[in-house]
Amino acid sequence: MSNERLNLIEKRLNSKNIEEYEIYLVERNMYETIFLKNQADNERDIRDFEYFIRILSQKKDETGIGVIKGNSMDIGQIDKNIDICATLSKFNSSSPYDFPGKTHITDLNTADKKILDDPIAIKKDLSEELIAEASQQKDVKTTFGRFRIHSYHNFLRNSNALDLNSKKTFFFVEFALKAQKNGALSEFWDVGYYKEKEHLKFNERVNNWARRAKDTLRAEEPKPANDAIVIFPPSVLREAINPVIGFHALAIAHFEKVSRYNIGDKVASDNITLIDDGLLDGGLSSNSWDSEGNPQQETEVLKNGVFRNRLYDQKYAILDDVLSTGNAKRAESGTVVNGISNLKILPGDISFEKMISNVKEGYYIEQFSWLHPDDKSGNFGAEIRNGYYIKNGEFQNPIKLGNVSGNILEMVKNCIYISKEREFSENVLFPYMAFNNLNVSS
Amino acid sequence: MSDKSYEEIFSEFEEITNHYSRSDQYFDILYDSVSSTTIAKTPSAENFSVNTKKSGIVARTFSGIWNEVAIEEGSDIGVIRNKIPKLTKKGDTIAEFEGWELNKEIKPKIDPSIIPIEDKIKKVREIYEYVKNYDERIFNVQVKYMELLIERIFVNNEGCKLRQVIPRIRVMVLPLAREGSVVDYDYSIISGEIGYEIFDLFDHELLEKTVKNSLEMLEAELPPAGRRTIILDPQMAGLIAHESFGHGLEADQILRDRSYLKQHLNKQVASDICSIYDTPSLKNKLGSYFFDDEGIKAGNNVLVENGILKDFIYDRRSASDLSAIPQGNGRRESFAHPINVRMSNTYFGSGDYSLNELISETNEGIMLVHGFFGMEDPLGGGMQCTSKKAYLVENGEKTKILKATALSGDVLELLKNIDAVSKDPTKLDGGTCGKGSEDLVPVTSGGSYLRVRNALVSPG
Repeated sequence: MSNERLNLIEKRLNSKNIEEYEIYLVERNMYETIFLKNQADNERDIRDFEYFIRILSQKKDETGIGVIKGNSMDIGQIDKNIDICATLSKFNSSSPYDFPGKTHITDLNTADKKILDDPIAIKKDLSEELIAEASQQKDVKTTFGRFRIHSYHNFLRNSNALDLNSKKTFFFVEFALKAQKNGALSEFWDVGYYKEKEHLKFNERVNNWARRAKDTLRAEEPKPANDAIVIFPPSVLREAINPVIGFHALAIAHFEKVSRYNIGDKVASDNITLIDDGLLDGGLSSNSWDSEGNPQQETEVLKNGVFRNRLYDQKYAILDDVLSTGNAKRAESGTVVNGISNLKILPGDISFEKMISNVKEGYYIEQFSWLHPDDKSGNFGAEIRNGYYIKNGEFQNPIKLGNVSGNILEMVKNCIYISKEREFSENVLFPYMAFNNLNVSS
Repeated sequence: MSDKSYEEIFSEFEEITNHYSRSDQYFDILYDSVSSTTIAKTPSAENFSVNTKKSGIVARTFSGIWNEVAIEEGSDIGVIRNKIPKLTKKGDTIAEFEGWELNKEIKPKIDPSIIPIEDKIKKVREIYEYVKNYDERIFNVQVKYMELLIERIFVNNEGCKLRQVIPRIRVMVLPLAREGSVVDYDYSIISGEIGYEIFDLFDHELLEKTVKNSLEMLEAELPPAGRRTIILDPQMAGLIAHESFGHGLEADQILRDRSYLKQHLNKQVASDICSIYDTPSLKNKLGSYFFDDEGIKAGNNVLVENGILKDFIYDRRSASDLSAIPQGNGRRESFAHPINVRMSNTYFGSGDYSLNELISETNEGIMLVHGFFGMEDPLGGGMQCTSKKAYLVENGEKTKILKATALSGDVLELLKNIDAVSKDPTKLDGGTCGKGSEDLVPVTSGGSYLRVRNALVSPG
């Protein structure tokens, strides 16, 4: 079906003698069960489709780029879209740009064939497994949940004879378990995307949610401390490192003059080696090619705390006279933006258990309300949702409310422990990490 | 679908709706189309994109649970009949609301669709150049213009036959300032159900103010941590009303037994000088509309009156289960997203203080200005709302400027500690709200100035 759609759009582009063009087309299928307490409450079946056309207009020392988004396959509407796109390209003033051409692309399987074959049956089985696990838990109740399967088929064709397509499947889970005792209420509310079925681990995951919900019932506000030792799990580190360290490593941040990172600068502790891996097996953002059609790859960003490489899309690679690192993303509007793929941090040499036992006094924060650091300055201050106070190497009371504040750019210069264990959290594969320069207030 | 006239869509929808008898089951169908133009300029990039009427339809039935099918533009609408079964004797599983008809298009003062794209680009470039050249400490400027035209057509088997076309525009200007190694910024956003006249609001006076606000941030110090008397500007008041309080009033959370406010209906939840509303029927606000995505007419929710919790916020399902009258708060991000109970325009009512009185009566405190972001905690009643900046208040005067400041703690404690509300007219600012982390809808929130005793602040 989509090759027919591509052919039709390309035919219309050719009929208008458009020389430099790109068609990016996405077919999305989603299958979702929404739970109210322990019962399915909404069964959803969604089919969506859209295409983006980019047209280039080459000028002296610059390129005009027009972008159009639509989903009508009516020939009159396609023609109208092409005309608008061509007009935009005439008015646009961007740095010199060409579409990528054919190159070697690593073969990478990012779709689960069983899901492609029968997504509704897989959704039914897994959503039943999820709710069964939750129903078995003692002293906690499900308040609501969402389980969704995504199945995408992306196509990219350009005037440089690039003709690519890839399929991707992944999951979305949102779930809240509530504990209640003597009038006190607490919950663990988890939200996340999971690339592989093996990452779901509902038995282990639901047990953890229930434990956290029950523990939070007896949570106290944290004891205030300056330069406190704080340990974060991979999911919190994703919210801290991706928007700040990831941002400062991008070529766009350099060209916008907002990156604090210069090649060769020591920007983090010796024990931190950070890699952008667009081919990471199990990474949510893994794909053979990026949103412009350049091959995704593995790029070392920090080696032993030293900034080694920027992450490029085609535009900024041309500006810096280097090759793209496959770090182009497609924005909702259809424009191409420079972004990270998957980030991974190399494991440390002690276990998470040993890390805790080494801490005389500190905090383990499992979840913030919303960490949301400022990408440019790295500053943050966030309310603790679920965590533990650590004293003499052991977890003491659970903690809630109160704030942890600091600066992510400074935090990574004070990393005292990195665990051997690593876990996936959406587009990261991170260990547990401990820092000693954060402030806790309550 | 988008190639058909709305009359043809109505006709097609009525035909399929007639297939499902209301006495046997509830059925509705919604057409959703979005057209947009985005023009963004930064030092290293200009991005222009146009979305020409991306559209789809979503249909659903209720039989004790919802069963919903969404399809994209160009699909055979017959798919809906195949996927949504005809049922018997399930009609009374959800309450019936009176059907009504409406066909309304909001016409802005200056229709942006008649303005040539090159004129819009020129405006964005002019703003960019003016701000960039205003002060040598401004080293980066981001300007973004986003124009939307949303059309929704709704038909159900209770007699609803509705259409609304709503324009929404948002313009953002963000100058980044640097002095030595210090980098900081502030920004201005104007949004609403408005036309091309939005650029008249971004006059030189506002642009200068925006630049000066960014430059002022270069002097900002880290705020102290601990309990203080605080003054909240209308944006911060709105963040509290929406994020910390309003989400707990969404009645789907009541059905889930997931709201700390369930037990507080008709009880004191705030100081008796506080009233809080959610009003989708306000005119020309970013969170306004004529009917929600379930065909319910937009009305007014009186949530808190003189400190007493008066009502929750409902969609069709929760209103049915809780025997309430919905005011039009069942909203979808698009045809591909589900209905959730959502706020619209959420705000504190005005009081009788002047802002000067609020400040001059405060010996030691912090004034939190420019709401930045916040997060809901519907079960726990916790609060995280962060301002982009703040001012120290000493001996009744604003003194030092402070960096981003986070407000946390227990929201009901904060509401009960409000001891003054200013008499300034309610000011609403636009933004985007997610239910959890997704399903984004346009909203506004605001109020006037509030003063709160013993609130917990820290660096944000």
